[in-house]
Amino acid sequence: MFRIVSRGRIKSPWIFHLNTGSCNGCDIEIVAAFTPRYDLERFGCLLVGSPRHADVLLVTGPVTRQMLPRLIRVYEQIPEPKVVVAVGTCASSGSPFLGSEMVEGPVDRIIPVDTYIVGCPPRPEAIASGIITAVMSKFR
Amino acid sequence: MVVERNVEKEVEVEYARLRIPFGPVHPALKEPVSLRVSVRGEEVIDVDMVLGHVHRGIEALAEGRNLIQTLYLIERICGICSHSHTTCFIQALEEIGGIAPSERALYLRTLIFEMERIHSHLLLLGVMAYEIGFDTLFMFIWHVREKILDLFEKITGNRIHHAMNTIGGVRWNLTPQIASEINSCMKEMEKAVKYVRDIFTDGTVEKRICGLGVLDYSEALKLCVVGPTARGSGVDIDVRRDHPYAAYNDLKGNFSVITRRDGDVHARIEVRVLEIFESINIIRAILEKLPEGPIRPEENVLRLMRRIPEGEAVSLVEAPRGELFYFVKTDGKGGLRRLKVRTPTFSNLIGLKSMLLGCEIADIPVIVASIDPCLSCTNRVTIVDQRSGESKVVSLDALRRVVREK
Amino acid sequence: MNAAIALIISFPAVLLISLLFEGIDRKLHARMQKRIGPPVIQPFYDLIKLFNKGRVIPLTASVRVFEIMPMIAAAVSLLGASILLSGILFGLSMIGDLIVVMYLLAMSSIALMVGGSASGNPYSAIGFSRKMSMMIAYEVPMFIAVISVAFGSTPSLAIDRIIKFQANLGLPLAASRPSMSLAAAAFLLCMPAASSAIPFDIPEAKTEIIYGLLVEYCGPYLALAKIAKAASNFALTLLASIVFLYIPSLLWENAPLNSGISLSLCLTTALLIMFTTMTVPRTILARLKIGQALKFYWMVPLTLSLSSIILSAAGL
Repeated sequence: MFRIVSRGRIKSPWIFHLNTGSCNGCDIEIVAAFTPRYDLERFGCLLVGSPRHADVLLVTGPVTRQMLPRLIRVYEQIPEPKVVVAVGTCASSGSPFLGSEMVEGPVDRIIPVDTYIVGCPPRPEAIASGIITAVMSKFR
Repeated sequence: MVVERNVEKEVEVEYARLRIPFGPVHPALKEPVSLRVSVRGEEVIDVDMVLGHVHRGIEALAEGRNLIQTLYLIERICGICSHSHTTCFIQALEEIGGIAPSERALYLRTLIFEMERIHSHLLLLGVMAYEIGFDTLFMFIWHVREKILDLFEKITGNRIHHAMNTIGGVRWNLTPQIASEINSCMKEMEKAVKYVRDIFTDGTVEKRICGLGVLDYSEALKLCVVGPTARGSGVDIDVRRDHPYAAYNDLKGNFSVITRRDGDVHARIEVRVLEIFESINIIRAILEKLPEGPIRPEENVLRLMRRIPEGEAVSLVEAPRGELFYFVKTDGKGGLRRLKVRTPTFSNLIGLKSMLLGCEIADIPVIVASIDPCLSCTNRVTIVDQRSGESKVVSLDALRRVVREK
Repeated sequence: MNAAIALIISFPAVLLISLLFEGIDRKLHARMQKRIGPPVIQPFYDLIKLFNKGRVIPLTASVRVFEIMPMIAAAVSLLGASILLSGILFGLSMIGDLIVVMYLLAMSSIALMVGGSASGNPYSAIGFSRKMSMMIAYEVPMFIAVISVAFGSTPSLAIDRIIKFQANLGLPLAASRPSMSLAAAAFLLCMPAASSAIPFDIPEAKTEIIYGLLVEYCGPYLALAKIAKAASNFALTLLASIVFLYIPSLLWENAPLNSGISLSLCLTTALLIMFTTMTVPRTILARLKIGQALKFYWMVPLTLSLSSIILSAAGL
């Protein structure tokens, strides 16, 4: 029974994407990962619009001060069990915006992060592999 | 529970008017912007805009870094028009330092510039299709766009942030093999974009985008919108023609400025589609005329950087979204005293309100997308455009707060 | 008693087939976009996952309504579909089950509407008003088409009578008379709106109002809502296939009702109907605005169904 449940979770990670002040590069690559060449939907991923439907939270950008409360709220709105994936170098480590007054990140300072996908921006293949790794390790 | 009862009462009072928060986290927006939209039924009667969610303090950061670090920092202002930002910045530095890049470098800069314009316009057309619920067109356009990204990767080694510019030139050269690949890609691109243009004049799409979000000529002049948004309203401006930079002076005969007079979403889309053809023409001309020569000075870039004297300069380029403006003031020791960036989206956002009033809820994402907002560009300075004196509506803020904080 | 057992047996069958239909729909949609697409059993994975997720109920919601309505929606649309399926499987039927099925399907939409609007989210409120307008737009021509069918066959409101009528005739009902073809056309045109497929997915528009009614539903409630949608889509396609396009009637005189072949033929027809009325429009069309959709439904399907009823009254 448990194996069926975990298989269901692994096979259908629904993704909510939150931009916390990224430069658009990662966001474009996330959307590009759903387009025909990469087609994340073949792993059952869906880009959903409401955090209530999501399992995976993709965070891009070094959390800016204005987006900080929203990041926390969106994280809380996602029902358990959930996975957080930090996409891009900004979200993973904060550079090159580290040291700015307005940047509160990186993401793991605020919410627990399961997988980091580095790259500026990471390629769609890397994003796909990161999401799959995250759900495989968390839900197995 | 007390709070909720209060809210119910307020809703009764303001029965006809519902305020919906459109963003900052909304699936139609890939970036956070907060539009507070008041609606009556389906009709929009007021729009309020709060920006600054992507404010990262880049201008302040730049003042603490040296010029080369700043070059890579400002590339991260925007992931779509990163080359425009660096070109604009480098042009200002070269003007201050009196460095003249070689002809070939200028041509290569222009080449990447125009490829970026194609990539950006295709991206927007795809997003547009996504907003009107036409997933297949979105998939098709983004599939076409991958070809341009492949070329970027072959030329510069990166899909999004090309890191092409350096002081006094460019970092990567063009081999004849890649040049022929660009040529064949342009052929495919032309065919695909013609197909896209046909779809955008198709009935089902036209129903959603014609006569929407009208910004007429005088309004466009008054609000100082730039780029395709202005050209869609009949304002004939283009930095490439009016103040030629890089290699555009030589390429003047190879492109024309597209304008449309309707000022609606369809006009802005049409301008962008036709501009892709112009960009293809420019790229072909560049490949034909490409002069031989070095692409960058022999000297180490750090030494070059330290040689740049104290001074200030203004630089303009035509980014895919319109006129991009940089003011750079160096301190003579390889650092910056002041950097000021004015991005095209900042100018265009102001036009958004007059476009949105009177439209339907279903049109909001379409109209917002039609100015191609690049908010990560815009939000280096916090702008809070809060309209005061609306005490009637402010009372409903409670509703919105409760709704959003549940 | 027999009827109850038949219904209970066909419940899981309906669940299975409707989810498979949804999976096939998603796969075909993806293939038409040059993508590989999710596996056909993807909806099962989704449901397993959703049933095992946590529940979050918004503070603004009126909790009981919010919780109960998805269950009602799922139960009602499953019931509607299983009445149809057991009708073919066991030849069970009762007087007026055509109306019962239509009523149950409308009921499931209304239950989701009420539940969604109970969440207190402004997007749900807009979704509610849009769904209301859409229901007024498509339910009226749909019901008129069904009534026209009831008049045009024996006359009868029992599905097995209509099937027998087609079997005796040796022709699917839609091909029998001009009035019936018009009714079938009106019914099929209403299908995309009834299933909220893309040109008419206005109440659930993702980029406009974030799924509208479903925005606050999560976990098990969302799963129930998904079941309700899948089952009612399946019921609609099956209804169209057995009432309007009963293909087995073409093959042999007095086609048996409940043989395996006629069942599989009906399901294949249902699949084809789903492909043409839901998958293809959602691939090749852009979303309409609510005013345009209303105009379309009041102009075309309503005219078709009204003229069908007039023609059938005239005996054509």
